[in-house]
Amino acid sequence: MTRIILFKTLRAIITLLVAVTLVFLFIRLSGDPAVALAPPDAPPAVIEEYRQRLGLDQPLWTQYLSYIGGMFQGNFGYSIHTGRSAPSLFMDRLPATLLLGLTALGISVVLGVTLGTIAALRHNSAIDRMVMSFSVFAFAMPNFFFGLLVVLTGALVFGVYFGGSGATRSLGQLLAPAATLGLATMGSFARFTRSSLLETLNKPFMTALAARGVPFRRRLLRHAVPNAAIPVVTMLGLSLGGIVAGAVVTEQVFSWPGVGQLLIRSVETRDIAVLQFIVLMIALVMTVTNLLVDLLYLALDPRMRGGRNG
Amino acid sequence: MLFKRFCFASALALSVSIPALVAAQDRPTLNFAVDNLWPTMDPVIGISTTGGRVHSNIFETLVQRNYFEDPDGNELIPGLATSWERTSDTVWTLTIREGVTFHNGDPMTAADVAFSLSADRLWGDAPMAPRGASFASGLVRVGAIDDYTVELETEFPDATFIARLTTPIGFVLPKDYYESVGTEEFGQNPIGTGPYRVVDFDPSTRLTAEAFDGYWGSDPMFSSISWNVISEYSTRYAGLVSGEFDLIVSIPTDQLSVVENTDGVNLLVSQVGNYPMFAFNTLDIDGMEDNPIMDADLRKAMVMAVDMDTLARALWDDATYAPTPFNFPEYGDYHDPDRQATYGYDPERAAEYLARSGYDGETLRWHIVRGFFPNYETAAEFMVEEWADLGINVEIRILDNFALAYERPFHLLNMSMSSEFTGDPYRPLWLDWGPGSNRVIASHRTWEPTEGFLDAGQRFARAQEFDERYAAYMDLLAEWEDVMPAMYLWRNVQTFAMRDGLEFDPGSTQVTVFDERYVTLTE
Repeated sequence: MTRIILFKTLRAIITLLVAVTLVFLFIRLSGDPAVALAPPDAPPAVIEEYRQRLGLDQPLWTQYLSYIGGMFQGNFGYSIHTGRSAPSLFMDRLPATLLLGLTALGISVVLGVTLGTIAALRHNSAIDRMVMSFSVFAFAMPNFFFGLLVVLTGALVFGVYFGGSGATRSLGQLLAPAATLGLATMGSFARFTRSSLLETLNKPFMTALAARGVPFRRRLLRHAVPNAAIPVVTMLGLSLGGIVAGAVVTEQVFSWPGVGQLLIRSVETRDIAVLQFIVLMIALVMTVTNLLVDLLYLALDPRMRGGRNG
Repeated sequence: MLFKRFCFASALALSVSIPALVAAQDRPTLNFAVDNLWPTMDPVIGISTTGGRVHSNIFETLVQRNYFEDPDGNELIPGLATSWERTSDTVWTLTIREGVTFHNGDPMTAADVAFSLSADRLWGDAPMAPRGASFASGLVRVGAIDDYTVELETEFPDATFIARLTTPIGFVLPKDYYESVGTEEFGQNPIGTGPYRVVDFDPSTRLTAEAFDGYWGSDPMFSSISWNVISEYSTRYAGLVSGEFDLIVSIPTDQLSVVENTDGVNLLVSQVGNYPMFAFNTLDIDGMEDNPIMDADLRKAMVMAVDMDTLARALWDDATYAPTPFNFPEYGDYHDPDRQATYGYDPERAAEYLARSGYDGETLRWHIVRGFFPNYETAAEFMVEEWADLGINVEIRILDNFALAYERPFHLLNMSMSSEFTGDPYRPLWLDWGPGSNRVIASHRTWEPTEGFLDAGQRFARAQEFDERYAAYMDLLAEWEDVMPAMYLWRNVQTFAMRDGLEFDPGSTQVTVFDERYVTLTE
């Protein structure tokens, strides 16, 4: 057991290191970063100054070692443009991203689970088909397209601005991007809930409960739901991990001042330290969430403890 | 809704008794949605189109161009310098405006002017703002004579040097504050003498500036101005329609008619002094020994094969046109609307030049940065077809950034040239193509100026009289056209949309200044 946990933790650390290394390399291989971050007309002297300030004149492995070394000392570098530390810029944006992500997740879980339950209970009815068609639509609709529809409809039909970054603050400015973001996951939640609940409802123990005369409400809430919830809870756990990455497209469409917007901006302006830190944080949260889910399985399911699934 | 609706009667009554107070209370705010903001607000380090939309509201230059009475801005008027004169062949003496204070309360003096133009900041070894070097070229001494007099000495007699003080190097920055906080911090918390002082700046979200009560000039028009970064056009448009924004910038060409037909919204389409172009790589460096485009006849054939003016007018719905080389309206007396290009559109002559050249069907690569300029990629596709008809194979390579575009091999490279500088061909023809320019010294350089070009350039820079300068300009132009190191496509177009009740017209500059010279409120 301890060996499995150690092994999985080690694997998580290697995953992180690989992610960090790939980002480090990609930024430096997709065109000279010193040229990319300087203005298009910048004279060679300016580009050279950037190169020296960023240490880009050093051999690649020297840069890599000093980056990794700095990381272990808690130094994640500074924004080349603003001079602020990468973690502080990231932390500035995190609350907005969490607010948007959690609201979106809330919307998608509540609506998705409700719709999925209704569809399972009314299996093969018109309602079931409607819910399932809607979930396919929700899943297939591209975020940016739906977001633009929401923004434009809000302004042209209702005279309301749903984008962020303006002077006003309203609930609509949170709910509109959150609904856009939640729409796709809502579809997944509805489908997962429906299939999981259907499977549980058809299990022999449910028939046995019915034969014993247990009322339907009790059968559903006390017996079916907890059993059907396992895959849905797993999906919830994984979705939580994804929130920190921000919603790059949705944040861009709605001008939501979150991590996703900072990520795009850092790519555009080749703000290397900030970019590296954001990717590191996303990889960290994803890896840790996956690790936790793995460990949770170990605790829940004795069959997983055999060691061969590691 | 930005413009608070208020009771006109009471405002009028109050304005009789305490006008200043009422003005401060009732001034509207201006919310401007922009597509981007430059990461730093140091006005030289941050020279850019997006920065230029902010700078002149925060900072002021020593000399200004009169864009509000002459849309091409060919007249110079006092800014923070009240007067200037040449006190010797190589010395300009400026009288600095008295009673001007910076946003932190410090008075502005000649010491601040001298610092702003100093070698340490602009033109010495390892300066704080190296992008200023080309703007300050020729400057050899800057000195504060007393609190309100500054002397500028140039390397050789330069009759038009004063016009350089209308460019970003002419912005006066507070010496003490700048030196105590450093360039990075200054770029995030800038201080100037302008009518608005920055209260909040996050390059990826917003810059907010409030009216500066200690401003030396007339009362600022707005109580505050915000530049909101809304990168998605539809969201900018939605914000304008719903009243969140008063003004938005950069409307895609295919959306112009939609904006025009939207109630409560007005469209402004205007030409600006900036020209998308491409450079021919006339060099054989970095493994391009067999570069076919080194042949000037091939380059001339390509230029003459394209009906650029028809193409530009069609793409832009007649909002702009293709100028003949370096013959731009913002050049004042140098501009000649009747001048014909030496190598204008002429398919037959193009075929002759092609036949004369050594071109043998090699594929030529055109590096274009994705989304570089509106309509650029579309125009390129048309041009490639026109060249193909003539028998020239050009392949477009769309790349993600300039760093990738600058990597050879390439035969054509997209660029844009600003001619907004001193109201003459000095920058676009001499600074941008001369011996110190990126075209000649950068890693992505594309040509080597001819002896004749260098000679004409020296004469142009040193000439004292207009006639002499004009003759040198014509020689520069002839040398340039003889080599044909580039092709200019069209005069750029900028677009704004604004709500009813706000009239804004910046003239042919991409710099936006929100004062009564450029803005009228009709509500």
